[in-house]
Amino acid sequence: MPETTAPDTRNDPRFLFFSELLGTPVVASDGRRLGRLSDLVAATGEPYPPVESLVVRRGKERQQLPWSAVEKMSRREIVVRSDAAAAEPPATPLPDRIPLAEEILDRQIVDVHDAKLVRVNDLHFLEVNRQLRIAHVDVGFRGLVRRLGWEPLVDRTISAVRPSAPYLKSDQLLSWKLVQPLDAAPGRVRLEVAQRMLAEIHPADLAEIMEELDRDQRQVLLGRLDVETAADALEEASPELAAQLLEEVPPERAADILEEMQPDEAADVLSELPGETRAELVEAMERPEAREVQELLSYPNDSAGGLMTPDRVEVRAEQTVADAFAEVRRLAEEVPLVYEVFVVDAAGLLKGLVTLKDLILAEPTTPISQLLREVPATVRAEDGLRDVARAAAKYNLISVPVVDDLGALRGMVTVDDILAEVVDAR
Amino acid sequence: MPAEQAAAEAEGRRLPWWRNILLFLAVLGPGLITASVDNDAGGITTYSLAGSRYGYDLLWTLIPITVALIVVQEMSARMGVVTGKGLADLIRENFGVKVTFWISVALIVANLGNVIAEFAGVAASLQIFGVPVWLSVPAAAVGVWLLVLKGSYRSVEKFFLVASAFYLVYPVSLAFSKPDWMEVARATALPRFHADSQYVGMLIGMVGTTIAPWMQFYLQSAVVEKGIKVEHYRFSRMDVIAGCIVTDLVAFAIVVACGATLYKAGVQVETAGQAALALEPLAGRYASWLFSFGLLNASFFAAAILPLSTAYYVCEAFGWESGVDKKYGEARQFYWLYTSILVVGALVVLWPNLPLVRIMLVSQIVNGVLLPFILVFMLLLINRTKIMGEWRNGRFFNAVAWGTTFIMIGLTAWLVVSGIRDLVAS
Repeated sequence: MPETTAPDTRNDPRFLFFSELLGTPVVASDGRRLGRLSDLVAATGEPYPPVESLVVRRGKERQQLPWSAVEKMSRREIVVRSDAAAAEPPATPLPDRIPLAEEILDRQIVDVHDAKLVRVNDLHFLEVNRQLRIAHVDVGFRGLVRRLGWEPLVDRTISAVRPSAPYLKSDQLLSWKLVQPLDAAPGRVRLEVAQRMLAEIHPADLAEIMEELDRDQRQVLLGRLDVETAADALEEASPELAAQLLEEVPPERAADILEEMQPDEAADVLSELPGETRAELVEAMERPEAREVQELLSYPNDSAGGLMTPDRVEVRAEQTVADAFAEVRRLAEEVPLVYEVFVVDAAGLLKGLVTLKDLILAEPTTPISQLLREVPATVRAEDGLRDVARAAAKYNLISVPVVDDLGALRGMVTVDDILAEVVDAR
Repeated sequence: MPAEQAAAEAEGRRLPWWRNILLFLAVLGPGLITASVDNDAGGITTYSLAGSRYGYDLLWTLIPITVALIVVQEMSARMGVVTGKGLADLIRENFGVKVTFWISVALIVANLGNVIAEFAGVAASLQIFGVPVWLSVPAAAVGVWLLVLKGSYRSVEKFFLVASAFYLVYPVSLAFSKPDWMEVARATALPRFHADSQYVGMLIGMVGTTIAPWMQFYLQSAVVEKGIKVEHYRFSRMDVIAGCIVTDLVAFAIVVACGATLYKAGVQVETAGQAALALEPLAGRYASWLFSFGLLNASFFAAAILPLSTAYYVCEAFGWESGVDKKYGEARQFYWLYTSILVVGALVVLWPNLPLVRIMLVSQIVNGVLLPFILVFMLLLINRTKIMGEWRNGRFFNAVAWGTTFIMIGLTAWLVVSGIRDLVAS
């Protein structure tokens, strides 16, 4: 931050708050009163967006003046060149131009750094070389007090009572680069850095942020995520919310997201949708994923069939440890948990399992048949959540195999899904 | 939205009748729940006092009150559906920190009044069984606090809802008490005005308890949370209207039942036991048990909802994290606010020798006095094209809502002036 002294003292870099400028009288250099400052418009293409124009209001009239016309600015008044060309503010602002008071101040934005939602109490500008740039957003308590106009009073009172109070030094300023506004119309604000960082937020945090956002903002946020991140986040969100979101998305994109999701989670989301929409989305999905999801959809949500994922690692008894590893590596992308590798015969009947630990400890050439463990418990697709949870708890299973009437392996229910269901059912 | 349905709706809503019923049931809820909570301790008490002090003389007010209630609640639901945002959210985003601060203060004061009334209701209802106040009130406060924070509230909500069917005993009891129906009809159709401050206070209390400020916040948030879509809004509107009518039919029955029994017998209601006498024609000597059960249920139900929802709205508006699933360290303001409202509400009632019934009435007058503040901002919001688009208010709605606002301001002014005059005279 430029805190060193600038050579030109008149243009000292200084910080000021939006709340200190709003409502300031604006006068022309020939002395005409133009009105009061009601908004600033910033160009958001840059990391620290410069203010491009100011909106001046007098009574009901609003006019927009270029920022370059500003000659002098203090907290008491803003002086603009008298020949500055005024224009009416456009009804819909140009893309990449945000009226700050209207679309940022008092709105909710995503604090990408702390992965949570915050409300903008104030904006913090840096004035350097006559340019005003957004540096921070203020999301702290002090910002609220300042907006109420009570800052001097509260500051004086607190410093008299307790000079060491943390409040006095606790401006909660977030760098503009680390926040993501959501109310500005989609496609308008493109902050590369913030966008990349959105994808780095943990999917569970993203899901929580989505739950807290209002309807339109959720859609904006979802629109800014790439398909993989969107799928990860929707897996963590409640199926109702995920369904609501996908209903508003173009079907092709919704189908892409569903394909990326774990089949059991995708099926949960689809089962929340009205029949026609569900059919339309399954139709739009790629064949193999669509077939998996359709099978899962035929079971009730809280049965083993509804909870299971058809993706699993399977090997034959006559294969070797090295083969098993190859299989684990090949499928690791799709299979949520690879801790248990299932052993089946040529007909697909479940014969036993080996754990990842067994495989790691054995020689690569060892045949699987030597490591084969008996499967302690299996469940049927129609079994309830309680049976699945009991099997997992009793035999310390990470994944409970689901078999059909003949004993053929159909899929597995993993412990993370069991936990989530059990916690919700409480 | 599924194409077939969209086409059907565009063609003049030619959906099969059963589809309409299913859609109605799906959006059903927020309006009826709000209505059930509306008849809380303050409500029952205010209507009982109105009937016992003035006989049928206040019945006429219920017609305009119902119209105003429907108009106001419909506006809340419409804003929720169209914007997808809560009222506190909208106020903050459109009017800034100062207005939000004062609205929050008004809401907290009004709801603190309500919470005091709820605890007074708990105390009064259990006094019938000889449970002392120092035991019943702290026990209820701790009970509510734990119930809500331990997250088991959802599971008991249905119990409260079913139990609030208790109000049906009033219409039944009414049939037994054989009021003079001609007289009732005349009193309903022809306004009877008394010029004393007590009557005006009672009138404000009637409006304040029926159209309580918290209801607009609560209904709008409930509609948003339910994720009702604009194209299904007409079903939501039916839900709201049905709720309002049920609320006011119950109010009507309470006033008439009290008018036919207590007023005739010249009983000045000072305790819940006396108010219970209105149920004597139906329940005989069990009247007080029945009344006690109903009052306790209503008080507890509202005491569980009001402090929690107040804390939510205030935190939402100021951008503080909120929710019972958050840790204390994450959502300090939320937990402090929630707990303080409960504790202060309970402590006030513990003041020795408090006239419980009068406290409940006064709290409802406070609600009535604060109502116009909320209404003004709702009306400003709902008339903004930028927010509501084609869904902004029509002329009739504006006339009724602004009318209600000005009448309430006028009545409040009258109450203040005549209250001062009474003070000076004595």
